[in-house]
Amino acid sequence: MLNFLLRRLIGLIPVLSIVLVIAFSLVRLIPGDPAVTLLGPGATSEQIAALRAQLHLDRPVFLQFTDYLVGLAHGDLGLSLKSGEPVLREILARLPATIELSVLAVLVAILVGIPLGVLSAVKANTLFDHTLRVVSLMGVSMPAFLLALVLQLIFATHLGWLPVSGRLDAYLTVEPITGFIILDSLIAGNPAAALSGLAHLVLPVTVLALFLAATLARFVRNTMLEVMGEDFIRTATAKGLHRHQVVLKHGLLNSLMPALTVIGLKFAEMLGGAILTETVFSWPGIGRYMFEAIKNRDYPVIQGTTLVFALLFVTTSIIVDLLYGVLDPRIRRRMD
Amino acid sequence: MTVWKQFATLGLMVPLLAGAIDAQAQDQSKTLVVAVPSDPVALEPGTNKAEPIGSEIILNVFDTLVAWTAPDFTKVEGRLADTWTVSADGKEFDFKLRPGVKFHDGTDFDAAAVKFSLERTKKSNSYVQATFGLISDIAVVSPTEVKISLAQPYPAFLSILAQPQAAIVSPAAVQKFGDSFAKNPVGTGPFVFKSAQADTNVILDANPSYFRGAPKLSRIVYRVIPDASTRRLELENGGVDVVQQQGQLSAIAAEDIASLKKNKDVQVLEASSQIIRQLEFNNSKKDGPFADVRVRKAIASAIDYDGLLAGVFGGTAERVYGPLTTNSWAFDPKVKELAPKYDPDLAKKLLQEAGVDPTSLSIKLYSFQGPLWGAVATFVQANLADIGINATIEQTEFPAYRTLQTAGQFDVALDGRQPWYNDPDAHITIGYLSSLANTAMTFRMPEDKDLDALILKAQQTADMETRKKLYFTVQEEIMKRVPGAYLFSPKLIVYARSNVKGLVINSAPPLNEYWSVSKG
Amino acid sequence: MTETILFFRHNRLALVGALILAALLLLAFVGPFVSPYTPTKLDILHKLEGPSAAHWLGTDSFGRDILTRIMYGGRATLAIGLGVVGLAFVIGVFFGTLAGYVGGWTDTVIMRIVDAILSFPALVLAIALAAAFGPSLQNAMLAVAITLAPQFARVARGQALAISVKPYVEAAVSLGLSSRRILLRYIFANGIGPLLVQSTLALGSAILQTASLGFLGLGAQPPLSEWGADVALNLQYARSAIWVVLAPGGAILLAVLSFNLIGDSLADWFNPRRRTQIN
Repeated sequence: MLNFLLRRLIGLIPVLSIVLVIAFSLVRLIPGDPAVTLLGPGATSEQIAALRAQLHLDRPVFLQFTDYLVGLAHGDLGLSLKSGEPVLREILARLPATIELSVLAVLVAILVGIPLGVLSAVKANTLFDHTLRVVSLMGVSMPAFLLALVLQLIFATHLGWLPVSGRLDAYLTVEPITGFIILDSLIAGNPAAALSGLAHLVLPVTVLALFLAATLARFVRNTMLEVMGEDFIRTATAKGLHRHQVVLKHGLLNSLMPALTVIGLKFAEMLGGAILTETVFSWPGIGRYMFEAIKNRDYPVIQGTTLVFALLFVTTSIIVDLLYGVLDPRIRRRMD
Repeated sequence: MTVWKQFATLGLMVPLLAGAIDAQAQDQSKTLVVAVPSDPVALEPGTNKAEPIGSEIILNVFDTLVAWTAPDFTKVEGRLADTWTVSADGKEFDFKLRPGVKFHDGTDFDAAAVKFSLERTKKSNSYVQATFGLISDIAVVSPTEVKISLAQPYPAFLSILAQPQAAIVSPAAVQKFGDSFAKNPVGTGPFVFKSAQADTNVILDANPSYFRGAPKLSRIVYRVIPDASTRRLELENGGVDVVQQQGQLSAIAAEDIASLKKNKDVQVLEASSQIIRQLEFNNSKKDGPFADVRVRKAIASAIDYDGLLAGVFGGTAERVYGPLTTNSWAFDPKVKELAPKYDPDLAKKLLQEAGVDPTSLSIKLYSFQGPLWGAVATFVQANLADIGINATIEQTEFPAYRTLQTAGQFDVALDGRQPWYNDPDAHITIGYLSSLANTAMTFRMPEDKDLDALILKAQQTADMETRKKLYFTVQEEIMKRVPGAYLFSPKLIVYARSNVKGLVINSAPPLNEYWSVSKG
Repeated sequence: MTETILFFRHNRLALVGALILAALLLLAFVGPFVSPYTPTKLDILHKLEGPSAAHWLGTDSFGRDILTRIMYGGRATLAIGLGVVGLAFVIGVFFGTLAGYVGGWTDTVIMRIVDAILSFPALVLAIALAAAFGPSLQNAMLAVAITLAPQFARVARGQALAISVKPYVEAAVSLGLSSRRILLRYIFANGIGPLLVQSTLALGSAILQTASLGFLGLGAQPPLSEWGADVALNLQYARSAIWVVLAPGGAILLAVLSFNLIGDSLADWFNPRRRTQIN
C-alpha cells in the first residue's frame, strides 16, 4: 500500500509541473498591468515603472518563473498584490470554507444519489425509474446560477425558512479556530451559532450536491443493472438467497467501485461550480477568491489558487485510488 | 473528546435556544449590519488609495482635522481642529486643535500626532502624492497648535485634509504595530476596530469616550456580499441594515430602486453627486475620423440624453452638460447652452459635412463591466445605430480597461470620474491638463499651452471670485473642443432598512459616517 | 436509417430530447422570420412588462421582446455548442488518436498534458483562458473547447489502442496501407460510436460552460443575445420580473436537457451489454 502511494505521488510530479507552467503562463497572458491597477487613477508613468520594479514585474518572464519556483520550494506562494498578504495564508484562511462546502456536498450527493440509483435499478423500467431518469438528467442540465437564484427566492425570500447568504448570522460571532464554522461553534460552546451555520449551509450545499447526486444516481442504476445481469448474481439468486440480499450485497458493492471513480472525476467539476455558488451565496471560499483575483489581476493569487485547485483534485483521485484498494481485495493485492 | 462533550451540551441546550435568541434580539437593535461588495483593501491612511470600503471604515475609526458639513456639504467644519486661519497668499494654514482628545489606545492626540500622521501619509502614500507633495513644512507650534506650509497656493487644500488619507493616526500604535498597523488601526474616531475575517466581515465596536459623544450604536458589522442581487435579497430579508454606496463601478438598477421604494421595510436615500459619466474620445489621436471636431460633435448630437436618464435610470441620475456638474460652485450656466442637444438630423448633417460616411465607421465602444454599464453602452449603441454608425460594445474588466486607456488604444470609451473632494480642481486638472494625458482617467487632451496655463492658473488662484471666473473660461474652452459627450451624473444612493435613523449621505468623499446612526 | 428509427423506438426519452431539440432549432432558425420584433431595438417605454399577447414572454429591461431575444440567442447558443464541441472534437481526437496509435513517448507526453488539463476544474481553466484571451464570444468558445478536448482525447486514445490490435487493422498494416489511411478508415470509423456519445454529452457541457462564462461577463458582449449573458444581464431584475431570468435560463436548461437525453440513450445504445438486454 505504501509502495503504491509512493509511486502514485512520484507520478504526480510531471502532471503538477505542467499545471504550474500552465498556471504561470496563463496569468501572464491576461491583459492589464497590475501596477496600474494598484496605483489607481492619476499615477504617473514613473510611479508605475517604480512599482513594476518593486514587484519584479520588469524582470524577464523566465526569471519571474524561476523566482516563483524557488519561493514555492520554501512554501512561499508570494504576496497578494491587492492586500500585500502572503498568498498561502490567505488561501489557508479560505480553504476550510470551500472544503466544508464541497465535502458536505459530496456526502449529501452520496447519501441521496446512491440509494436513488439502487432503487431505480431495483424498479428498473417502472414509472419511478423513468421519473428519476428525467429528474436526474434535469439536475445535470440545470445551470448552477439559475438553481441558486430560484432556491434563494423560494426558501429565503418567500418562505423565509433559510438565510439568503453568508456562513453565519451577522449578529453572531465565532472565534475561527479550525475554520469550519460548525466545529468552531461547538468548540466555543455556542449552539446558536452552530444552528445558524447549519442553516446557512443548506442552500449552497444543495446547489453543489444536485449535479453530483444526479450523475451518481444515474450511474449507480446503470452499473447495478449490468452487475445484476452477470452470472454470479444469477447464481446467487438461484442458490435461494433473498433478492434484497443479492441486490445489496452483490449489486451495490460491485457498483460502488465505478461510482467512486465518477465521484473522483466529477469532484473537479464541482469545485469549478463552487466559483459560481460561492459568489451567489457570499461564501468566503477559494473559488470566489480566485475569481476576484482574476478581476484584479492579482497574479500570485491566481497562480496559488490554480495550484490549490489542482492539488485538491489530485488528492481526491489518490483517495479514490486508496479506497479502491480498501473496497476490492484484488486491487489491494496488486498495489502491494 | 471535548467535541463530543460539546455535542452532548448541544443536545441539552436546545431548549435554552429560545432564550439565547431573545438575548440576541436585544443586541441586534444596537448592531448595524452594512453590506459591502468586498474586503477593504487598506485600513489606514498611509496606504489607502480611495478604495471605498476601506475609506469608509477609516472615516469611522479615525478623524480628520476638518470635514464637510452635512446636509449640503458646502462648508468645511472642524473635527480634530477647533479653528484655523489661512494666510493672505494662501500658502500657510494655522490650526488650533481640540484639546483633551485621546486615541483608542489611551495616548493623547496632539500637534505632534498631526505632524506625524500627515508626514507619514506624504511619505508612504503614492496615491496622494500630487496633493500631499505640495506640503513643504509642518511645524508643531504648541501641543494644540500646528502650522502647515505649502510650496504654492492650493485653495482646495482644506478639502484634501478632509480625505481619509489625511486622517490622524496614533503614533504610539504605528510604532507598536509597524507594518501590520493596517490590521490594527488605532485612531480617535467614534468606532474602534475589533476584527476582520477574510471575505466575511469587519467588525467595529463603539468608542464610548468619543469626543463628540458616544455613538448610539454599539457595533457595526461590515458584511462582505459580492453579488449585487444577493445584497438586495439580504436587504429585503433584513439580513443587512444598510447597503453601502457603491462607488464608481457597480450597478444600481433603476427597477430595483423603484420596487424597493414600494417596500415599507426599506428606505432609499438619495443625494445629488458630482460624479460625471461620459462617452470620451481619444483626444490625443491625430488621425482617424474623431480627430475632426465635426465628427465628435455629430456623435455628441446623436445621443438621446433625456431618454437615457428616463429609460435606463428612471430618475436616479441627473443631466450633466459639461466638465462640471450643475451643483458645483464653479458651474458656468452658459455651458447649458453650449452643450450639444439630441438632434440625429444635425448629427447626420455634420458627418456629411466632414465627408464621413457613417456606414463606413465601424467603431469599438469600450465600457466597464457590469449590468449598469452594459445598459448605458447598449443605449448609446442604439443611438449611434440610428445615425447609421455601427458600434460594437467591448465590456472590459477594470485593469485591462485602464491599460487600454493609458496606452491610448481606443477611439471612443465610456468612462467617468467621481471626485472625492468638493472642488472643481478634482474634475478639471486631472481630466484636461495635457501633461497628464497618459495617466489614468483623463480625457487624453492633446498638447495645448493656452488651455494648460488657464487650468493651472484656476487651480492656484487664492481669491475665490477670480477663481470662479477662471473656471468659467476653462469650461467654455473645453466645450469648444468637444472632448466627449457628457452623459449623466448618477445620484448617490444608499439603501437602508426603515428602522435605521440618522444616516446622512456624504457626497465628498462619498462615504457614510455612522456616529449619528441608530436603529429604532 | 432503420437503425435510427429502431433507436428512437427503443428510447422514448431520446425521442423526447430530439423533439425538444427540434422545437428549439425551429424556434431559433425559423422564429426570427416570424417575429415582428428585432432583438436589439430598444423600446424603453415598454420595459419589464409581463407576458402578454404582444410579448408572449414579456420584455426585458430595455423593452426588448424576450421571446425574440431567445430566438436569436438560440442561434448563438446552439451555434456555440456545435462550434465548441466541433473544435474540442478535432483537437481531442487528433491528439488522442496520435497518442494511442503511435504510443511510446508521444503517448506519455500527450496524456500527461491531458491529465494536467483535467486536474483544473473546467470552469476555472475556462475563466482563466477567457480572461487571458480577452472577453469575447470567440475566446469564451475557444476556452471551453480547450477544457473539453481532453475527454475526447481520452476516448479516442482508448479506441485507437483497442482497435489497433484488432486483426483487421493488423492485416491492413501487413498489407502495407499507410498509417493515415489506417487511422482514417479503421480506427476513426470504428471508434465513432463512443465519440458520438461523448459529443452529444459534451454539447450539454459546452452550452452550460459558455453560459456560465457569459454569466460571469466573460462571454458574449451586449447587445448580442446569448442565453447565459441574458440571464446575467437580467438577474438583477429577478425580484421585480422573474420571467426575464426564467425564460433564457429555462431555454438553457431545455437545450442542455435535450442533448443529455439523447446522449444518455446513445450511451446505452452503444453499450454492447446493455444492447443485448434491450433486445
